[in-house]
Amino acid sequence: MYRFFSLIVLLLSCLSVPTLSPAYAQPVAFAPPLGIPIVTVSGAITATNAADGLVLDLDQLRTLPQHRFTTSTPWTEAKVTFQGVLLKDLIAAVGASGTTVTLMALDDYTNSIPITDAKDDGPMLAFLMDDKTISVRDKGPLWLIYPFDDNAAYRSEETYAQSVWQIKRINFGN
Amino acid sequence: MEINPKAQPQAKGLRPPFSGIVLEWSKIVQWSKPAMIALASVSTCVVAILWFRLQSEMLTYRQEAIDNIHFNVAQIELDLVRFQAEVEIMALQPAEPLSELRLRFDLLYSRFQSILKGKMFVALDRGDIVDKLTWRVEKYLNDTTPLIDSPDPELRAALSQIDDDSKKLRLELRVLIIQLITRYSAMADERREAFSSLVQRAAWAGAIVIMSLAMLSALVLWLNRKAVRLACQTVRLSSRFAATVETSLDAIIVSDEQGKVLDFNNSAATNFGYSPKEAIGSDLADLILPPLSRALYTDMMSRINRDGMDHDANSGRLQMTGMRKGGQEFPLELAVASHNTAAGMIFIAFLRDISDRVQAEASLVQARDVAMAAEKTKTNFMAVMSHEMRTPLNGVMAALEIASGMAVNDKQVRFLNLAQSSARQLLRHANDVLDISKVEAGQMHLLDEEFDMMALVQDLVAGLQPLATQKGTEMIVKPLGAMPRLVGDYFRISQILQNFMTNALKFTENGKITIEIETQRRKDALLEVEVRVIDTGVGIAESDQARIFEDFVMLDQSFVRTSDGTGLGLAIARRLAQAMGGEVGVESELGEGSCFWMRLPLAVGEMLSQTEDPKAASALSIDLLDILVVEDNATNRIVLEEMLQQMGHRVTMAVDGRQGMEVARAYAFDVILMDISMPVMDGLTATTMIRAEGLSMHSRILAVTAHSMPTDLERFKNAGMDGCLTKPISFGKLAEVLLGDGLDEPEPQAKPKALNPARIDDLREGLGPTGLVRMITRFRADFPDFQARLLAACAPGKLADLMPICHEGAGVCAMIGAPALQQLYAKAEALCRDGDEIKAAALIMARGEALWAEAEAAISALDLPS
Repeated sequence: MYRFFSLIVLLLSCLSVPTLSPAYAQPVAFAPPLGIPIVTVSGAITATNAADGLVLDLDQLRTLPQHRFTTSTPWTEAKVTFQGVLLKDLIAAVGASGTTVTLMALDDYTNSIPITDAKDDGPMLAFLMDDKTISVRDKGPLWLIYPFDDNAAYRSEETYAQSVWQIKRINFGN
Repeated sequence: MEINPKAQPQAKGLRPPFSGIVLEWSKIVQWSKPAMIALASVSTCVVAILWFRLQSEMLTYRQEAIDNIHFNVAQIELDLVRFQAEVEIMALQPAEPLSELRLRFDLLYSRFQSILKGKMFVALDRGDIVDKLTWRVEKYLNDTTPLIDSPDPELRAALSQIDDDSKKLRLELRVLIIQLITRYSAMADERREAFSSLVQRAAWAGAIVIMSLAMLSALVLWLNRKAVRLACQTVRLSSRFAATVETSLDAIIVSDEQGKVLDFNNSAATNFGYSPKEAIGSDLADLILPPLSRALYTDMMSRINRDGMDHDANSGRLQMTGMRKGGQEFPLELAVASHNTAAGMIFIAFLRDISDRVQAEASLVQARDVAMAAEKTKTNFMAVMSHEMRTPLNGVMAALEIASGMAVNDKQVRFLNLAQSSARQLLRHANDVLDISKVEAGQMHLLDEEFDMMALVQDLVAGLQPLATQKGTEMIVKPLGAMPRLVGDYFRISQILQNFMTNALKFTENGKITIEIETQRRKDALLEVEVRVIDTGVGIAESDQARIFEDFVMLDQSFVRTSDGTGLGLAIARRLAQAMGGEVGVESELGEGSCFWMRLPLAVGEMLSQTEDPKAASALSIDLLDILVVEDNATNRIVLEEMLQQMGHRVTMAVDGRQGMEVARAYAFDVILMDISMPVMDGLTATTMIRAEGLSMHSRILAVTAHSMPTDLERFKNAGMDGCLTKPISFGKLAEVLLGDGLDEPEPQAKPKALNPARIDDLREGLGPTGLVRMITRFRADFPDFQARLLAACAPGKLADLMPICHEGAGVCAMIGAPALQQLYAKAEALCRDGDEIKAAALIMARGEALWAEAEAAISALDLPS
């Protein structure tokens, strides 16, 4: 029964996922963070500012290309507007290579997604929720959010599992 | 399935040979269409409903942030434990910063929020467990959060309280979470079950749809195959029909109701000279019929259109005149069949050029006419010859008769006897041939007189009795049922029966001959009379039974030598019966005997049957009579002799009164037939002398005369005669007279006819039409002269000449059959004889002219060939 179910899901996703052609910009040079560090980017990246990779604070994240969308989520009661950096833009900014993006949370929850999932209408590393920074209590400070409302394919348990919140580390690898 | 109507030659009412298949097939098509549609729509509906349900169910599944409740609740415990551990550590180490503690709380807080506010919980049944859990967690957060958010010294002071609260929460949460998970598991199971059954139903529906699709495909496949086969059949039949029509030797033209040509086959093209292309579409009548036949055809078509009935169509063959392209006309034979098609009535005309046949028929008819003319000529020749032969034969016989009276020795007598019997035989032959010729030529005149069949048969039997006795054969008359008097030609009937009876006697020795008479009512007013002559003789082989009624057939060749038959007897009987509208036949078994029968349709007479008459019955018991015929005319003598001998009587002849008187005195006769006017001694004198003395003085003496007036009869009776027999003498009359009945009485005083048609018929029969005309012409030419002489004799002083002239006139008128005139002259003659010439002259002066005028008119009215 589940096989039948997943088959349908797979078919539907195949139909809805457009071919992806990420335009990688030149990696940016990052200075060490001045504010409270939010996230550490590590692994196969070209831009670093620390021993174990690239440490970024909120202001630095704000310097990267900003993206916004409004969506409902299983974890919020109403529709919420998120703002942040598209995973795709981060990848470009840090000069990431590899096939997998691994996201690690403050509670050590870890999940990996293929790097190809990073698209223009794909996941975003959100740090503003309704224009306010997100506290840890509200799953901040960094939350990988998909535009669930825009794309039915994202309204799946798999995607919900990939929506890692309280991100503290992002690692690129194979 | 529509067959080309042109190619369908069957008349209406006939069904195509595969109509059964058509019916079945169309029925299936008729029912399968809605069935297919219904099945397809039902399947579609079911599938659609299931699809929507499945879709929505799947959507719920996919969108539901189930988010792994097990993981979350485990995380809650983990986060709580980690927070509590941190709390305990911080309680022991007051110098350490509290940031880690606060992070742990934040994470715990966040976890609580995501569980309590997430859709997962919302989706779950809001039962007491959820409420209790929510309430408990909220209470904890409400208590702890202000402490965590307070400045460090206060937080440190509250650490032990937080620790206790957290421990308590942990224990309570554990219980609640286990309850929740159990509840959730049950719910999940339920949902799984429901989904599973939904999917199962979908699978079933899918299977059914697939099955019905398979069935529909099979049906479509089958129908398609059937259609292909029928199409093939149709093509095959069409081509067969087309080939049949095209190769037909008859011209076949199909037209519609308006007469427009729809189809024109090869033979039609050859016959009429039009190509099918020219012919199709034009008017059939204008195309192939000449103007005269066209009207006929148009009339026929309009009749069919008006009545809606096809009188002429489907009804045999008609002959018409056809017309070729060049206008040449020729005879054709036409058969029209009609057929009702979907497009209306069509007519299929089968035409055949019968020029050759018509020509052949014409030449055949001509040949037949020539042959028939020749046959008629031959028959006429035979009739004339036979007739002409009789006159000299009579002369020969008379001469022989006279000579035999003068014979002086035995040798002469023997030769004369031989010559006489040969002459008689020759006369019979001539009569036979004449009979056949007359029937063949259609000249036979049938009498239409009333007679008694029973008496007729009994007379015949009586006449043959001597021969029967001689052969030791018994003859029995056996009437079956009542026998009324009948109307017909008793003479011909007795001729047939006489033939049957003499034949039966010839071939029956010491046996029995039964004559059965039976009548049966027919549908018309006539009676069917059947007479059977059944003998116990030698019988006739079955192969010969049909043959014996043919001309000149004699089965027993040895008989030819011993009998005087021509082999024409039965052939004549057959012809006579046919001429009277009846038939004759035979049933026989070799050695057992034969049954010859005659069946005739006869009218019933008006008089009552006289078979019950005791006088007639007793008279029949009289068998053989000794008869003396005294007659100077050889022909009359021979005729009388023939008749009497046929009746079985013993006949003696005398040629004049004296000879008759001498014979009569020497021998006792039962009956003496006496002519009146004779040379040597007349009849009256001879009678007186016979009555005076001799053996026959008490015999019955009958006068035989051509005319009998009341005064004559008086004279005959005075001379001693018992009665009078008027010429011409018929068989029946003779038989009656001999039995003592039917003596001619004086004719009643009714006004005599100007002309006697029976006599005219007799004359016509005797002389032939031309002979009659000749005679009448002669009579009319001679009569004015006679009349002048008669009137001259009426003048005073010339009266002595009157009697012979009257006598002459009476004779002539008797001969020609003018009774009124004849009686006038006879009466005048009688008056003269009585010495009253003046009265006779007055009578003639008074009525002669008028009666002559009447006779003249009647003669003119006769239908005589000129």
